[in-house]
Amino acid sequence: MSGINISELDKVYDSGTENVVAVEDLSVEIHHGEFLVLVGPSGCGKSTTLRCLAGLEDVTDGSIRFGDDDVTDRRASERDVAMVFQNYALYPHMTVRGNIGFGLKLSTKLTGDEIERKVESVAEMLGISELLDEKPKALSGGQQQRVALGRAIVREPSVFLMDEPLSNLDAKLRSDMRTELQELQADLDVTTVYVTHDQTEAMAMGDRIAVMDGGVLQQVGAPEDVYRSPVNQFVADFIGSPSINLFAADVDGATLRGPGGFTYELADPEPVAGHDRVSVGVRPEDITVVDAGQNTADVTVVEPMGNENFLYMEMAGHELTARVAPAVRPTEGTHVPFDFDEAALYLFDGETGDALKTKTDTVDSAVVGTTED
Amino acid sequence: MATSDETDDRIGQAYRRRVRTTVRTAARKFRRAARPLWDRFRFARQDLTAATPTLPRVAYIFIAPFFLLFSVFLAFPVFYTLYLSFFEYQGVGQGSLFWVDLGPVYLEIPKIARLDFVGLGNYARLLGNDLFWQSMFNTSYILVIQVPLMIGLALALALALNASFLRLKGVFRTAIALPVSANLVAYSTVFLLLFNEQLGFLNYVLAGVGLGPVPWLTDGFWARNTIIAAVTWRWTGYNMIILLAGLQTIPQQLYEAAEIDGANRWEKFRYVTLPQLKPVFLFVVVLSTIGTFKLFAEPYVITGGGPTNSTITIVQYIYRQAFVNFNLGYASALTVVFVAVVSAFSVAQIKIGGED
Repeated sequence: MSGINISELDKVYDSGTENVVAVEDLSVEIHHGEFLVLVGPSGCGKSTTLRCLAGLEDVTDGSIRFGDDDVTDRRASERDVAMVFQNYALYPHMTVRGNIGFGLKLSTKLTGDEIERKVESVAEMLGISELLDEKPKALSGGQQQRVALGRAIVREPSVFLMDEPLSNLDAKLRSDMRTELQELQADLDVTTVYVTHDQTEAMAMGDRIAVMDGGVLQQVGAPEDVYRSPVNQFVADFIGSPSINLFAADVDGATLRGPGGFTYELADPEPVAGHDRVSVGVRPEDITVVDAGQNTADVTVVEPMGNENFLYMEMAGHELTARVAPAVRPTEGTHVPFDFDEAALYLFDGETGDALKTKTDTVDSAVVGTTED
Repeated sequence: MATSDETDDRIGQAYRRRVRTTVRTAARKFRRAARPLWDRFRFARQDLTAATPTLPRVAYIFIAPFFLLFSVFLAFPVFYTLYLSFFEYQGVGQGSLFWVDLGPVYLEIPKIARLDFVGLGNYARLLGNDLFWQSMFNTSYILVIQVPLMIGLALALALALNASFLRLKGVFRTAIALPVSANLVAYSTVFLLLFNEQLGFLNYVLAGVGLGPVPWLTDGFWARNTIIAAVTWRWTGYNMIILLAGLQTIPQQLYEAAEIDGANRWEKFRYVTLPQLKPVFLFVVVLSTIGTFKLFAEPYVITGGGPTNSTITIVQYIYRQAFVNFNLGYASALTVVFVAVVSAFSVAQIKIGGED
């Protein structure tokens, strides 16, 4: 049982003519029993990082420690890790029993009876006892997923590695498994690194999430913190669904001037001091439709969700999304004034994208707060 | 020097890129120009399809040519061979088997052969024939040694070619598979020369390291091994390609899962490669068994069946009986037995190796 320490990890692929940097100078400390989610768009290096942890990829530079053991140069089989693959990678010619017990058979001195007992208890825990004698191809996607999990759990590893394990399941099953996986991880208390490209999954599951882009770790933190205080524009844009509204604005003293005559007076101009141009970010739930105001947008589509409405609006070619209360239902094609609270405003450096100001903790994001009556 | 090479390389690349772009642009322009014409053709075809009345059961007309050719050139000979195996062939047939007089058209099917019915006589004869048993033994000997040897070699080569560290894979693959394109008689002649006792290259090399000449073609035991070497040389590459294709369909993630489960190299081969390769492997085994059992050209050219019939194969024996001695009835009985044995082999192999 151990935490994980990744220090200055580099992974460079040599494709003969050119070097492709997949992961660059990544350092992160994962605590014992923690559920850390690596999240980012495809090609951001999250899977490569996981594969380096598993020992399936050689590390170009840097070190990986599990607890006090430096495992950087150890083979996968010597690291005491278990991995769940996106497409499960079950052995097609073995029964479920064979699949789950395979690792124990190869790498432990347990007797056949002991292995049998462990396999059966894990199968019971996952509710797949009656499938033990089936071959993988006779199982549904969800059942295969459970077998893959069983294969990982039965080994009682010190680290669980999961590479998009839920992405081949349908939406309903995915959210069920999400909860189940979290409960399981909490019960087993095993350090877990979980890779996904789905930020909703990351937010929902992670004790902490690590956002990656272009091989570089952008930010590590609790989901709530990353959402409220992203370190840069990329993280702000990637985390949150629907995504944050972003547009460029010129700074004129305490006034922000954006596209289509957008203006906003900052009560506190300190964050933008010394900047000519910034990116303005407003979360969809922070936009409110008002009776009269300086800034307006054209409503293009209204999506009623039942518990809330999504408004898609256009402001001089820039699309804006707003999440409003179900009662707020402007006619499509109309021109509506909108406003938002300065406390909810995000500001990013116009060039580097670094955060200048993020949403303060005092903002209550509940959609109910957006009705104006 | 290195920099000038690099510059050359860069110029070469730029040139290739320009050629490629030019060709692509030209192709695109041509397609665009031809589009109205192509549209007219397409519309005309659609109109024609709409105007053509649909024939009921038109599919049967489409598949008819196959069945026609199949029955004339395959089904009929198969059944006729079985029929012939109960007769003794006396000579070419006279008179007609069947005729119709339709006035202007006179249709006649002549008798194929003059035949004497001998019942199971041909079968009794072959069971008591020493040369039949000799050819059976020779063929089985070659089969038992050659097929495992060749498939083992093919698998080893396929595994080596599939390994990620190997460079120049394409070159090796082509080189190893090349013998399959060699003409049977031509390559057999080359082997005949290589293995010649007095003048052959092989004995020359052996003499060079102080070993006496091996009677490659004049001793029964060595002659069989010469045949084995020739057949193995020709067909190993072919089987390797099939096995390699099979290896490449095995998902990489299974190896990764096995790696994490603690499998070493051998265990990955044993628990991932072999089970995954099984269908392809079975295919190769059945095909090679049939192929080697049908062995004919190599012994025909290299040893002529000798010395003293110690390399004569079943097919060669059938050939002699049918086309040298014109014992067509007896040759047919041999063929029937031969087919039965091959089928039994294949069925057994599929039964043993085919269950999932």
